[in-house]
Amino acid sequence: MINSYLSERVGKKRKFFDEVSDADGNVYPHWKEVLRQFGEMGDESLKERAEDVSRILRENGVTHNVYGDPDGLNRAWQLDPIPMVFSEQDWSFIDQGLKQRAKLLDIVLKDIYGSRKLIRSGDIPFELIYNHKGFLRQLDKLRLPGDQLLIQYSADLARGPNGKMWVLNDRTDAPSGAGYSFENRSVMMQAFPDMIRNNKIQRINEYYNAVKRALMRLSWQDKLNPRIVILTPGPGNETFFEHAYLSSLMGFTLVTGDDLMVSDGYVWLKTIGGLEKVDVIVRRVDDIFCDPMEFNMDSRLGVVGLMEAIRDKKVTVINPLGCRVLENPGLMAFLPKLSQKILGEDLLLPSVATWWCGQKKELDYVLDNIQNLVIKRIYIDSQAKSIWGAQLGEKEILELKEAILLEPYMYVGQEMATFSTTPSYIDGEIQPKSAVFRGYAIADGSEDGYTIMRGGLSRSSKNEGLLMPSANAQSISKDTWVIGDDSTKQTKSIQEKVHYGDWILPSKTAENLFWLGRYGERSIHTIRLLRTVLKRRTESPDIVHPEKDDVLVALLQSLTAMTLTQPGFEEEDTLKSPDEELLSLIKDTAKIGSLAQSIQAFLNNSYSVRDKLGLDIWRILDMINDSSVRYKQIDDLRVMTSKLDNSLVRLMGFHGMMVDTMTRDDAWHIYSIGRFLESSINICVILKEVLKKDYPIEVERELLEKILMVNESLITYRYHYKSAIEISSVISLLLINETNPRSLTYHLEHIQKELGRLPSKHTQYLSSIQKKLLKASMMVRLCEPDQLVLVDKEGSEKRVNLINFFTELVQILASVSTDISSQYFSHTTFHAHSNSTLIPEI
Amino acid sequence: MRYQVRHVTKYKYNSPAELCHNIVYQCPSDYPFQKVNSYKYRISPEPNYEMNRRDFFENQYLYFSIQKLHKELSVESIAEVTLEVPQWMKVNPLETQSWEEVVEWLRTPEAMNDTRQFYLGSTNVELHRHYKEYALESFMPGRPIMAAMMDLNERIFNDFKFTPGFTDISTPVSEVFKTKKGVCQDFAHFGLACLRSIGLAARYMSGYIETIPPPGKPKLVGADASHAWIALFIPDIGWVEFDSTNNLLVSDQHIRTASGRDFSDVIPLKGIVYSGGDQEMDVTVDVNQLK
Repeated sequence: MINSYLSERVGKKRKFFDEVSDADGNVYPHWKEVLRQFGEMGDESLKERAEDVSRILRENGVTHNVYGDPDGLNRAWQLDPIPMVFSEQDWSFIDQGLKQRAKLLDIVLKDIYGSRKLIRSGDIPFELIYNHKGFLRQLDKLRLPGDQLLIQYSADLARGPNGKMWVLNDRTDAPSGAGYSFENRSVMMQAFPDMIRNNKIQRINEYYNAVKRALMRLSWQDKLNPRIVILTPGPGNETFFEHAYLSSLMGFTLVTGDDLMVSDGYVWLKTIGGLEKVDVIVRRVDDIFCDPMEFNMDSRLGVVGLMEAIRDKKVTVINPLGCRVLENPGLMAFLPKLSQKILGEDLLLPSVATWWCGQKKELDYVLDNIQNLVIKRIYIDSQAKSIWGAQLGEKEILELKEAILLEPYMYVGQEMATFSTTPSYIDGEIQPKSAVFRGYAIADGSEDGYTIMRGGLSRSSKNEGLLMPSANAQSISKDTWVIGDDSTKQTKSIQEKVHYGDWILPSKTAENLFWLGRYGERSIHTIRLLRTVLKRRTESPDIVHPEKDDVLVALLQSLTAMTLTQPGFEEEDTLKSPDEELLSLIKDTAKIGSLAQSIQAFLNNSYSVRDKLGLDIWRILDMINDSSVRYKQIDDLRVMTSKLDNSLVRLMGFHGMMVDTMTRDDAWHIYSIGRFLESSINICVILKEVLKKDYPIEVERELLEKILMVNESLITYRYHYKSAIEISSVISLLLINETNPRSLTYHLEHIQKELGRLPSKHTQYLSSIQKKLLKASMMVRLCEPDQLVLVDKEGSEKRVNLINFFTELVQILASVSTDISSQYFSHTTFHAHSNSTLIPEI
Repeated sequence: MRYQVRHVTKYKYNSPAELCHNIVYQCPSDYPFQKVNSYKYRISPEPNYEMNRRDFFENQYLYFSIQKLHKELSVESIAEVTLEVPQWMKVNPLETQSWEEVVEWLRTPEAMNDTRQFYLGSTNVELHRHYKEYALESFMPGRPIMAAMMDLNERIFNDFKFTPGFTDISTPVSEVFKTKKGVCQDFAHFGLACLRSIGLAARYMSGYIETIPPPGKPKLVGADASHAWIALFIPDIGWVEFDSTNNLLVSDQHIRTASGRDFSDVIPLKGIVYSGGDQEMDVTVDVNQLK
């Protein structure tokens, strides 16, 4: 395939520069060996390895999310098995170019937030900065430890028609992709170990070491052992996978804004053991979302008071707020001159030809050539997309011109450049696609000021030639191979832990783990009960006669009591034809309490704590997701039973893996408490619903058998009692028996045990949670099964004692859950107030 | 004229707040025709953290946070200032330079960026051709800038109806322009939008004004209010202040606390409170002339 790809391109008049070969078909030396090996591999083997790549990515749970797309959550990350390849010579130029550009932009940034001499002198037009929403006045006079302000810098590069590398975008706010780059490389090392070894591909690890070094020295307060956290917007963010990934790779705690608070001027991390001071925040939250107090008041992603802590030099945020002002296409037009003036050097990496409309001549040029240009606003966000002049109608052009004329300095025109192509393996074929490369620089105090990753994230668009890249669904990533001798000093592995003392558990993560346990257990209980119900359903006629079928009615109603789904089986209609309600109770994700919803909530919580879960657990989660997605297509209850079995085994498998792999730390305790608590509540609810009436003996026997089945205790029962099933023995086995792992006593004991291991302030007295649990335990241990099953009066079938007993237990357990939330999790919500109405009286 | 201003803001929370952060812009700054004799504030409960700072626009503000359970928050500012009749009161508006000259001058290197920044759009002040057209009816070709501005001031006063409660801080200028209703900050924002849309530099002024009671009625305690107006930059004179709500050229009755691009830069008191419940707010302002 490779050979035919190459021969097809020989002599063809090409529209675009080709990365691989010149116009006569001569393959450039740095691609030769790589392509030869791809060729030797043969099409079959290439196909297999491409499948390996997808499989590994899927299994590693590598995803990215697409905003505004209902199916966009957790989309699989795509990696082209054919990498982008740079020669040693190309690379040394890119390396120098990125360093130079980072250095230049850093000086510009310091000027913008410092003396503003470059603006006063007109070297940087003032409108370009003062008009840019990324110029945050609150950051005026900002300083960081060390000489630099621009700590992380990324640039999107592509090769223009003349064979030179151009900069398309500068990324300075919160550049993404370094985590994906690491993952891409490790996947390629698994799928193509021979090629990586044979071709002297430079290692990218040193960059991550440099990041760690850089962050360590940026702390104002604790210089020796700073606490570093990664601030993420949360699991819905496009690149959340990467945030979690970098967090475990670098050993920095992953936090959301809710996990942090500012008090006494410092930033604190809320953990279940109390508050921990934070020194450095690596943010993946956009600048103006970081502090609702001083920027976007509607933001719930940030930390209230963060800006004041920054001003007070109590915390360092990386990249500093305010860096976004450099993500400014208008600035590109002025960089060559600035480079000359400030560094006395030519700018090595030119930008795409850019005309800033704030100048008369340039404005006229843009207006005259609007159809051949890409028009951008100087501040790029989701509302200000690039406009392709060529795609506009006459009326739209007039409107655009009018908008430009009103605020010309807000616009640039850029050349519609074409970019080089590389071979891409797409849908089993090799095709030429345009590729963009994102490089990464970090200010780590090294001699040149910046260390550059020897590789990076390349992406090819599905189009050929023209491109304005963004990490959208249309692009496929590539590993980036820099050929050459690895000159990297062997430094310590990045996996090496920063010595933090105790491992800490943020309250928010604890909350996710608690609910992970609860929803996991709820799903399991719901499935077990559903299975029993469905099986029993097959024994009754299509139209049920509720008055003749006590067993089915009791089971259906216990399902309603457990899931609290509406309308449920309280009414005659749904009891007569229960199938529709049963189906929706299983698969309707919009139905509150449905199985599909519980599983979704379970999965959502697992995504939020993904950095705590091992790889094999991810595989199981993937399978659980798969099987619950399948529910949607099934309309036949009989088929459903086998699917439910499937899900159940997988959910149990998940828990088994957790038992097997999780360290017994706070995370484990919280997860276990969630599980046992949920399970306890469910046991009580089912027992209450099924046993609330005194049925004829055959009905009761059957119901008791079902209860034992639902609680996985039928075999235990037979082993222990070897007699006909009888109510007080069942109650005794499911409530009181300490050795039965499915008994309530057993559950309650474990909750108390796990709770005792969590950090706690109470020493002398029992906490309210402990008191409630003790009361529940006592109630269970002291209960007399024979007394519970008595009916209230002769002739009545209602078991009042039993109903009251379980009602009280459920209430106590529910309030334990509430108390755990308020004691250990962050539940503070905040409200913005401002002196909003100004009403003068005259 | 000497004035004393007392500005009290009280919040009541239904359920106790455990933490709050606040920024206060209530301290009068020194201006060419205003001298601050004294300023003090009282906050209850006592803050755990407080810091006096100067912002990008050289306004003084206070940052404070309270970290203890509280059901009430009270912020009281007391300032004493001396106001002089500004120079611009003596200027003959017809003898000022033409407004186009000012637009041009603002784009020369002679104009400082600190001044020029006020001809750009801002958070609450969007530029639009509709405002430009409205402004141009006053800013006729070659017209002296101050005369044109006084005309604009009067037109806003006549065209817009002062309607408390109709707008709030999030009401955009376009809405104000459409309904022709609002309060002082809306008129200030609209005036800024007009001036900036034709290329002039104008800024938002935040402060107080004394209320004169109707003839024969006693002055009510706490009936004064915070106020907003605008300042236009005229190179030969400096920042000249206009109050469209009252159709006034500002003299010695307007007490200035802060100035910025618009309201969002100088909100008198803003904060975020961690609490579960609803809240009530009560503001009283007293402006008293001292003899």
